[in-house]
Amino acid sequence: MPTIRYRLNGRPQQYDGDPTQPLLWHLRDDLGLIGSKFGCGIGACGACTVHLNGDAARSCLLPVSALADADVRTIEGLAQGDELHPLQRAWIDHDVAQCGYCQAGQIMAAAALLEKHPTPNEEQINAAMSGICRCGTYSRMRKAIASVVADGESA
Amino acid sequence: MSAQSRRTFLRSGLKLSGLLIAVSSAPTRLLAEQAQEQISAGQIGAVLRFDEQGLATLLVPTPDMGQGMMTTSAQILADELDLDLDRVQVQLNSAIERYDAQGQATSGEFVQGAGGSLSTMVSWPQLRRAAAYARALLVSAAAAHWNAPQSQLETRAGRVHHRGNGASIGYAELVAAASQEHSTLRPNNVEPKRLAQLTRVGRDQRNVHARQIATGQPLFAGDLSVPGMLHAVIRRCPHLNGSVQSFDASAAEAMPGVVRVLPFPRVPEDRKQWRQRAAGIAVVAKSHWQALKAAQALSIDWDGSLAVEDDSVILHTKCMKALSDGEFQQLHQHGDVEAALAASAHQVDLSYYHPHWAHTCMEPHNAIADVRADSAEIWVGNQNALGVVNAVAEATGLRANQVKVNIQRMGTGFGRKWPTDYVTEAALISQQVGAPVKLQWTREDEIEQDYYNPLGAYRIRAGVDSDGNLSAWHFRVASDALLRTAAQDLPIGLVPASLGESLQIPNNISRGAWRGPQHNVAGWVIQSTLDELAEQAGIDSLQFLLRLYSGKAPLRSPNWPFVDIDTARHVALLEKVAAEADWGKSLPAGRGQGIAVHQTFHSIAAHVVEVEMRGERDFIVHRVTSAIDCGLVINPLGVRAQVEGGVIDGICAAKYGEVRFDKGVPVSNNFNSYRKLRYAEAPRRIDVHLMDHGDSEPRGTGETALPPVIPALTNAIYAASGKRVRRLPLLRAEG
Ligand code: FES
Ligand code: FES
Repeated sequence: MPTIRYRLNGRPQQYDGDPTQPLLWHLRDDLGLIGSKFGCGIGACGACTVHLNGDAARSCLLPVSALADADVRTIEGLAQGDELHPLQRAWIDHDVAQCGYCQAGQIMAAAALLEKHPTPNEEQINAAMSGICRCGTYSRMRKAIASVVADGESA
Repeated sequence: MSAQSRRTFLRSGLKLSGLLIAVSSAPTRLLAEQAQEQISAGQIGAVLRFDEQGLATLLVPTPDMGQGMMTTSAQILADELDLDLDRVQVQLNSAIERYDAQGQATSGEFVQGAGGSLSTMVSWPQLRRAAAYARALLVSAAAAHWNAPQSQLETRAGRVHHRGNGASIGYAELVAAASQEHSTLRPNNVEPKRLAQLTRVGRDQRNVHARQIATGQPLFAGDLSVPGMLHAVIRRCPHLNGSVQSFDASAAEAMPGVVRVLPFPRVPEDRKQWRQRAAGIAVVAKSHWQALKAAQALSIDWDGSLAVEDDSVILHTKCMKALSDGEFQQLHQHGDVEAALAASAHQVDLSYYHPHWAHTCMEPHNAIADVRADSAEIWVGNQNALGVVNAVAEATGLRANQVKVNIQRMGTGFGRKWPTDYVTEAALISQQVGAPVKLQWTREDEIEQDYYNPLGAYRIRAGVDSDGNLSAWHFRVASDALLRTAAQDLPIGLVPASLGESLQIPNNISRGAWRGPQHNVAGWVIQSTLDELAEQAGIDSLQFLLRLYSGKAPLRSPNWPFVDIDTARHVALLEKVAAEADWGKSLPAGRGQGIAVHQTFHSIAAHVVEVEMRGERDFIVHRVTSAIDCGLVINPLGVRAQVEGGVIDGICAAKYGEVRFDKGVPVSNNFNSYRKLRYAEAPRRIDVHLMDHGDSEPRGTGETALPPVIPALTNAIYAASGKRVRRLPLLRAEG
């Protein structure tokens, strides 16, 4: 099996295992990066969302073979050291999480959106926030995202 | 004190104490066991622990599945202990065990579980007592240290202060001495603070794990690993109550990483009895992905012959037909319903139907088990800590006191994580392969092997007299469960003539508790019927409900937990949401408001929902105005979260909730076929109001908001579209 080289949270990474293994399980089981969660395995819930070359991607459907030369960011790599990403800060301030299981995926989805569109319209937010939260924290997510957008606008 | 000597100090503290307050290097279980003997007032084990750096950890006993019990418990403990919550860690305690004569783990007064919206109610007195005792020990130790009268001392932010000389000492430094105070100070002699003295209770407290959650730290059982751990996946029988006829594992066994293939029979063997474990074949491998791939490569012949009649279309037809010709069991009878119906000025005769709902817990079930010859250690998210201990002991043949259970945070539970099937599977696999094992269910497993919310078919005949009062109520329900709640609930007790009947029609579908068991659907049927009656009688829905609930004497509920119902509280809730939502305001065409109220167990909620139709059946919810009466509110922010979540869960269940069965096979088994409410469909605005009747005790919140939101929604849909909703889900796939 050819070695697959990619970048993970800014650091070079290589992989020699089963190329069909989805990135989600590679992260969780091989690397101990357990922030990305398993929720459905079919790309429908968003709990496993990471960034692939800056775009939100569902890692449960992404075989490691697709990662050659790619840039992958996970929730563990979103903060700059101790400095939380503004969305992480907003998620805490707005007390978004209930059980918390879906939230890494939600934050990653929102972060990818704001990187592309710092002042998204409602349609863009609705389209980007396509994951499921079984605790029903959507209204607090809405407020958290709005606060970060507003801060960005006033900055 | 130097770091070194301080550590020694704390260590020696452990040796002397091993108690209520102790250091982290000792196993928590030991502490809990020792402590529970000491705390006759509490029975909740250790509540506070210091590590070698003197950092405090609050130990909370009640499992958290998103209902916020870790936060609420920590808030109660910190208030009583005078600790700064921002500067302590909060951890779940492992299962606190005591044993009965048969060696089963058994709880005392304090049940270490999450169900029936009881956690806060049950924890409140116990946590306060235990924490008050811990604080008294610390103060007593400080008094001895300074040789000062206790009246000179006070506690603030994790320190005991001497008012006389201004000195202070941290709790961590008092650990050793405090633990010796046990001999002179008994827990029964310590009273918790008075309500008025509490400073944190009643104030917004954010999720104590908000930062860990937002940064992806390990909190759930599936996030953990133990050395030498293998991974297991079970290919489970897709047929209800099916079994394995034969299987060929040769392809799977030859795949990389595969360690063992193990058949799993259904337990118990008698398929008429409640399923404890489903039939299937387990694959154990070095990684989850290897196990999953190999499980897919198994070739299995299933026997699904038992359940072919259990088909969504047949189930519906059977239950609806039974409403007119079934032999119902009479659960309640008062007055002469037929005569009252005949004498009424307005009548309705309505049928309702809802299918099964699955839990779809966000985190598919998983567990880690390390079973040895004479011990077992388990890491799992489960709602019932001692249930896990006993189930693992029974499955493995170990004694309960050989089983250690580390309860982890749950990625939702909704009642499904009360059963222990997924834990005993992991334990049995570990026992058979002789290594620690992490078992991970797929989403398909989670839906196919669910204990579903029961289906229900209903017929209600009811009448209103010429004064606009409800005068007759005949309620029938046919289901695969014996549904008592709906057939005995209000308005029974408020009507001069009433009859409640239920009929169980058995099938092969396993059922269980689903957020607000029975109430979740009873609320819909009852409050929808009342809305239709109001319309028949030409009375505004709010006015009709106010008339029904006003001026009634308190009555004892015939449904669990058999509390006194004071409908003046229903009235207060209705008036609140009506005022806040501007009930009856004029709305453009295609928009409408609906109102409903319902009591679930100890607490009551009411909502006004405002919808706008988007096409024939689809809709968006613009605004939900909610009010909850849950007694003393400990964490307003948390209670609001539970109401918001309950509202969304209710709208989700009403809109999409349906497990389709095709000849005995649950076919809606992942999020593509079993849809869930998402961000774009969620209400634009949810305003939550907390009622304050000056109660001194908290009551439940986790299940309260959901039951009344469904009828408030369907009543709003009627107001917006002129179409009554008598069958759920709102967006049915077919049929
Ligand atoms: S687990 Fe990847 S989208 Fe659900
Ligand atoms: S916070 Fe629990 S599923 Fe989203």
